[in-house]
Amino acid sequence: MYIAAVILGIMAYLRGGMENLLQGLTAGFKTVFISFPLIILAMIVAGLLQVLVSQDFIKRWLGKEAGLKGIFLAGLAGALIPGGPYVYYPIAVSFFAAGAEIGTVMAFVTAKNLWSLSRIPWEMALLGPEITVVRYIVTFIFPIVIGLIANILYSKYSSSLRKWIVAAQKARGESK
Amino acid sequence: MISAYIVLTIMAVGLFIAAKRKGDGSHKNGISSGFRTLKSMLPLLIVAFILAGILPKAIPPTVIQKWLGMEAGWKGIVIGSLAGALIPGGPYVAFPIIGSIYEAGAALGTAVAFVTSWALCGITIVAFEIPFVGPKFTLMRYSLVLFLPFLAGLLAHILFA
Repeated sequence: MYIAAVILGIMAYLRGGMENLLQGLTAGFKTVFISFPLIILAMIVAGLLQVLVSQDFIKRWLGKEAGLKGIFLAGLAGALIPGGPYVYYPIAVSFFAAGAEIGTVMAFVTAKNLWSLSRIPWEMALLGPEITVVRYIVTFIFPIVIGLIANILYSKYSSSLRKWIVAAQKARGESK
Repeated sequence: MISAYIVLTIMAVGLFIAAKRKGDGSHKNGISSGFRTLKSMLPLLIVAFILAGILPKAIPPTVIQKWLGMEAGWKGIVIGSLAGALIPGGPYVAFPIIGSIYEAGAALGTAVAFVTSWALCGITIVAFEIPFVGPKFTLMRYSLVLFLPFLAGLLAHILFA
């Protein structure tokens, strides 16, 4: 991350000098401030979800046994949740840590990216209805299919991914 | 942005009430767990936002526009699939760029591949994804979604163009 920032910073500098780089930095900081209240809200939602949603619930609805039902539900959740990746990844972490299956989490993220309801007005207004409607139709099935394929191919990695996430939470001092 | 605030506020309030009704201090635990995540993730989040800010300065949208030009058919779809991933930021940043390319004469399949690629493979997402769920998850996700923008563009081209 830090390395990527430095590389991009050098590229921006080479392209347009110090002024160009500073414009990029300012734009970045501006979005931090604009999005900050939304980030706080997102973290609160993720934190509350983590204490509220019991392991049993996740197992039943989003875990391995939930199968296709879990994938559909996760997709629906993804479509309904507004905001950028700083909103839905904390929520994905809550699901994962509580025992959700990889395909469920994959369907959640993919549905957020493709079905996002809160994005429709933007898409309609800025891209026009033609692209928007065609795009929603041709990508409609993707989140479900991705969830199913993820369960087939990567199910065996679910527990190691969960371990990484829990270890990362612990390292950040979030363990309960 | 406003609708995101409204929906997330409703969610937060609803969840808070539900947690409080459990009567075991869950509501406090949830909120403090949220703030702990915020505190620990903040440096990385700021770097991610800065990445998103510098990106269009390092790879200007005009360069991407030039690549796409008037390419139609499968060639446009391939280029759209690749270029979409390089478009940074949220919808209010990405859509005007994509819209201008479509208006400049790009084909429907190209535009659909472009939007899908931005939505699924956009590099801004990775900046936030890795700190939360780890590089392994990112790799797995990319292995699954990488060809989808092309498929979406192709379907759009065959069915609707």
